[in-house]
Amino acid sequence: MNNLLDDYALASPLRHHNNWLKLIIVAFGLLVGVSSSSPVTPLFITLSMGFATVFFGKIPLTFYLKLVLLPLGFAAVGSVVILFFFGTGCEVFSLEILGYRLVANAGGVEMAILIVSRTVSGMSCVFFLALSTPMIELFAVVKRLGIPDSVIELAMLMYRYIFLFLDVAMSIKYAQTTRLGYTSFRRSVYSIVMLASTLFIRSWEQGEKLYIAMDSRCYDGKFTVFESRRPIRTPEAVLASVYVILAIVLLRFTGNIGII
Amino acid sequence: MHIMEGFLPGLWCLIWFALSIPVIAYGIYKLNKLVGERRDILPLLAVAGAFIFVLSALKLPSVTGSCSHPTGTGLAAILFGPAITAVLGAIVLLYQALFLAHGGLTTLGANVFSMGIVGPVVAYVIYKAGMKMNLNFYVVVFLAATFGDWATYVVTSIELALAFPAAAGGSLTSFKAFAAIFATTQVPLAIIEGALTALIFKYIIQVKEDVLVELHILTGDAVRKIRGSAA
Repeated sequence: MNNLLDDYALASPLRHHNNWLKLIIVAFGLLVGVSSSSPVTPLFITLSMGFATVFFGKIPLTFYLKLVLLPLGFAAVGSVVILFFFGTGCEVFSLEILGYRLVANAGGVEMAILIVSRTVSGMSCVFFLALSTPMIELFAVVKRLGIPDSVIELAMLMYRYIFLFLDVAMSIKYAQTTRLGYTSFRRSVYSIVMLASTLFIRSWEQGEKLYIAMDSRCYDGKFTVFESRRPIRTPEAVLASVYVILAIVLLRFTGNIGII
Repeated sequence: MHIMEGFLPGLWCLIWFALSIPVIAYGIYKLNKLVGERRDILPLLAVAGAFIFVLSALKLPSVTGSCSHPTGTGLAAILFGPAITAVLGAIVLLYQALFLAHGGLTTLGANVFSMGIVGPVVAYVIYKAGMKMNLNFYVVVFLAATFGDWATYVVTSIELALAFPAAAGGSLTSFKAFAAIFATTQVPLAIIEGALTALIFKYIIQVKEDVLVELHILTGDAVRKIRGSAA
C-alpha cells in the first residue's frame, strides 16, 4: 500500500498521450474480454495490454507481474466453486473431501479457465489505465461525460486527501510497530482502533479547516479543471486500430474453441 | 468483498449497473440538496470518504490469514445515512479499482450494489431500530456494522451464484458453495470490523463528541448519558 498505482501513472510516459484514446482502448478491451466465450481473445488482450503497459509505459516487468498475480487469488477461490458445481459433460477428475466426492466435469473446467482468463484480461486493461493515466487527467474527461459537479468536487477533494491521510496512517503505523504494537492479536486490534480513530478525528479537523480555507478564498462550489489538448498521433491511431481489428477477428473466429 | 474485474459475464454486469445507478442518482440528489443547505458539508464528506479509503487500505488483524480489510461502510452509513454513503461508496470503489486493484470497472456496478448500497442500508436500518429500542449505543453500532458486513458478503455470494448457477440445483446450490467458501474469512472479519467501528465511536465520543451532535446522530444529552454509563 506504500506505492499506489497512481504514483506510477504520474511518472509514465504514456501520461502525455490522448486520454480519450486510452479510455477507448481500455473500454474496448473490457467489453470484448467480458463478452468472449473462449479463452483465446482474453489471452490476446492480456498480452497486448501487458506489452503496452511494460514497453510503452516503462513499468518494471517484475512489478507488473506481481500486480497481475494479485487478482488471481480471488479468481482462484471463485473458480474452484465454478469448477465443481458448474456445467455438464464427461468427468475430468474428482476429489474426495470429508467424505464428499467432488466431481469436476468438462463444462466446469472450461468455464473455470474462461473465467480466470477473463479476469486476467480485465485486470490487464484496468492496470493499463491505472498505470498510464493519473486521476487528475481523468477528472476533465469525467466532467465532459456529464457527471454532476458536486460528485466531481467530492471525488477531487477525496483524491487530494487520500494521499495526505495515507501518509499519516503510515507514520502512525510505523510508530506503533516500532513500539511492538502488532505483536499479538489483542494488541493489533487495540493498535488499529487507536490508529483509525485518531485518523478519523484528524481528518475531521482537517475538513473543518479546509472549509474555512476555501470559504475565505471565495469557493463557490466549482473547481476549474484544465484539460490539456493532446491530439491523437498517426502511429498511435494505427496501432490502436490494428489491436481493435485483431481482437474483433479473434473474437469472431475463436468463439467455439475449447481447451478440452 | 470485491468481485474482481472480468469475473461476471457481460449481462450480469449490466444488470447490477442498472440496479445501482438509480440509487446513486438518488444519493446525488440528496447530496446536492444537503450541500445547498450547508456549504460546509462537502469538505467534511470528502475527508470522510478519504478516511474510508485509507481505512480499507489497512490490513486488519485476521484469524484465517487471508487478505482482509475493513469496508468502513457501517461507519459511513451511521454518520451520513445510506443515500449519501452510496455516492461515497461508488467513488471509493472506483478509486480502489484504479489505485489498489481491488475490484474492477465492469464489476463496479455489482460491487457498488453489495458494498455501497445493501451493506449500508442494512447497517442503517439496524442502527435506527436499535436506537429506537434504547439499547446500549456501542452494542447497536457493533451490531449495525457487523450485520452490514454480513449483508455485503451474502449479496456478493448471491451475485456470483446468479451469474454461475450450478448444473445440479441451480443458483441455490452455487450460492451455498460460494457462501460457504467466503464465510471462512467474512464471518470473523465482520465481527472484528463491528468491534472496530464501536471502538472508533467510543473514541470519538470521548474526544470529539461535537462531530456527532453536529450531524444530528446524537443529542448533547445522549452523549452525556453514554459517557456517564461508560465511566
